[in-house]
Amino acid sequence: MPSKEENPYRPIEAQVLEVIPETPTIITIRFRPKELMEFRTGQFVAITIPGSGEAFFTPSSRPSVKEIMEVTVMKVGKVTSKIHLLKPGDIIGVRGPLGNGYPTDKFKNREVLVVGGGCGFAPIRSLMYTLFEMRGELKNLIFRGGCKNPRELVYKNEISEWPKQHALDFKITVDKSEEGWQGNVGLVTTILENLEMDCPGGIAIVCGPPIMMKFVTLKLLGLGFKEDNLYLSMEKNMSCGIGKCGHCRLGTYYCCKDGPVFTYNQIKNFHELWD
Amino acid sequence: MLDKLGDDFLVYAPVKKGRQRYYQPYRSLDKNITLGEVRPFEPMKAFFSRARETIARDFRPEMPEDGKKPFCIVGVKACDLKGFKVQDHVFRNHDYPDPFYLKARRDNLILSCDCTCAIDTCFCLALGIKPYPQEDYDLNLSPIAGGFILEIGSTKGQGVVDKFSALVSQAGDSLLKEKETLRSNMIKQVEKNIEENSIPDQTRYKQIIDKNYDASLWQDEAKTCVECGACNTICPTCHCFLLYDQKDEKNMDRLRIWDSCLIKDFARVAGGANPRKKLWMRLRNRFEKKFDYFPKVAGVYACTGCGRCISACPAKIDIRRILRKLVDLTV
Repeated sequence: MPSKEENPYRPIEAQVLEVIPETPTIITIRFRPKELMEFRTGQFVAITIPGSGEAFFTPSSRPSVKEIMEVTVMKVGKVTSKIHLLKPGDIIGVRGPLGNGYPTDKFKNREVLVVGGGCGFAPIRSLMYTLFEMRGELKNLIFRGGCKNPRELVYKNEISEWPKQHALDFKITVDKSEEGWQGNVGLVTTILENLEMDCPGGIAIVCGPPIMMKFVTLKLLGLGFKEDNLYLSMEKNMSCGIGKCGHCRLGTYYCCKDGPVFTYNQIKNFHELWD
Repeated sequence: MLDKLGDDFLVYAPVKKGRQRYYQPYRSLDKNITLGEVRPFEPMKAFFSRARETIARDFRPEMPEDGKKPFCIVGVKACDLKGFKVQDHVFRNHDYPDPFYLKARRDNLILSCDCTCAIDTCFCLALGIKPYPQEDYDLNLSPIAGGFILEIGSTKGQGVVDKFSALVSQAGDSLLKEKETLRSNMIKQVEKNIEENSIPDQTRYKQIIDKNYDASLWQDEAKTCVECGACNTICPTCHCFLLYDQKDEKNMDRLRIWDSCLIKDFARVAGGANPRKKLWMRLRNRFEKKFDYFPKVAGVYACTGCGRCISACPAKIDIRRILRKLVDLTV
């Protein structure tokens, strides 16, 4: 977050270093903010396209790399369409980091399950980098990922290397198969069966589209995960990112300043939870 | 006194036009300046977070300066001052204070005034407010025959009194008694409003949203709503805004403009999902924010009983009626 004396609405200038295509609708941009901007995994930033406005993303990059940040962006609206037109050398703005990240200290000496879906792979990649760095302090690490079809799978080449490089129980699935796909087919809940971990004592982190999070949450509760150990990343319309503009209210919280990561216990009784 | 205050402030005072009062730049010869009577048409919040203001320029860290003097707002009523309970919570007391609001709160001068009449939409007493200011002012004016009784509410207010000490003298008991009589008469007028419209008191608002979240009243009440957002802009407690960027050849400006939770896209995300697709859900959200969210997070109902939303609504959606229905359904 910006320091309290500063103008919390101004973006910091940043230069685009690289644009990496991920899928037909998703790119990753690497950029260097002109002022150091350290973030904890799970915190988010606002990217400004000068004159066009802001959009919010959780960096998909390694928090321990401090000078350069990456965000993975699906083309869905006005600002994201402009982001898709960026070229190396272009100037953008970045504001943040905003919100609270994952409480990774609480994961130490625990068994950890990470479930990502679709665009939720972006924050999850950053989280996985962090968990790999602290892998020695985790009792177990399991990754389950799902997306619509093989074409929509981001970081394809990279994540297939994860189980080779790290002690990781790894499975991914696609809702609908296509030619050349040899992996699992089915919703992500189908690869949550027979987890080799102590679910009631474990930590679960879920990030993905609302419908996926809803069914994964129900599944995980059924497996015995505790409501306090189930971490969800909530997505709402945001404008200010600092709990003032009123857009991202979820019950008695604002997604931006109180989240975006919540335990299921914190938010389970709120209306509009999965809407 | 107001002429002199103009050296340091942009002085705004309520001016009566037709049946309404509007905050206008103070001109000493204006015969229609009305310090007493009832709340002006516009909410006072407009002097603390402007309807549209530039809050960042390019990548510069400093706040854009407009070079204008602070405001001196005269004739502010108690219902508007209660708005500070909400606005302060959002812009001042939160984790990240808003520097623009802080500056306005620090520099603006508030010369409030007792109400001297009630209009039929007034119901401040139901929200625990009296029709005369009790806090959050710099100086309060209580109109009496031939002048005003001043009360000092802050060191800023004390400074003004010190500066104009030639114009003030200690009020005697008979004048203070006159003030009290006028004040209790005012209370009676608002009590009459509350009784005639059967407006429930805030002590009965507990759980009115939770218990009636799925009630059909939301659909019924939203039927006539035209989604204009007037209820939001006119409300002393509504604070929502939108950041809006624009650019010319030279500069990139970030503006903050008031937003309205009744507008369809208020909570819509870029991917298209909208938790409040239907108008009635957005109307319910407005009430949820006022009567569930703010009491839970700030210990205050985000309504001041000023009645502005009732007058402003082209669809005749009446907060008094909705509160009555909610309370009746809850019992």
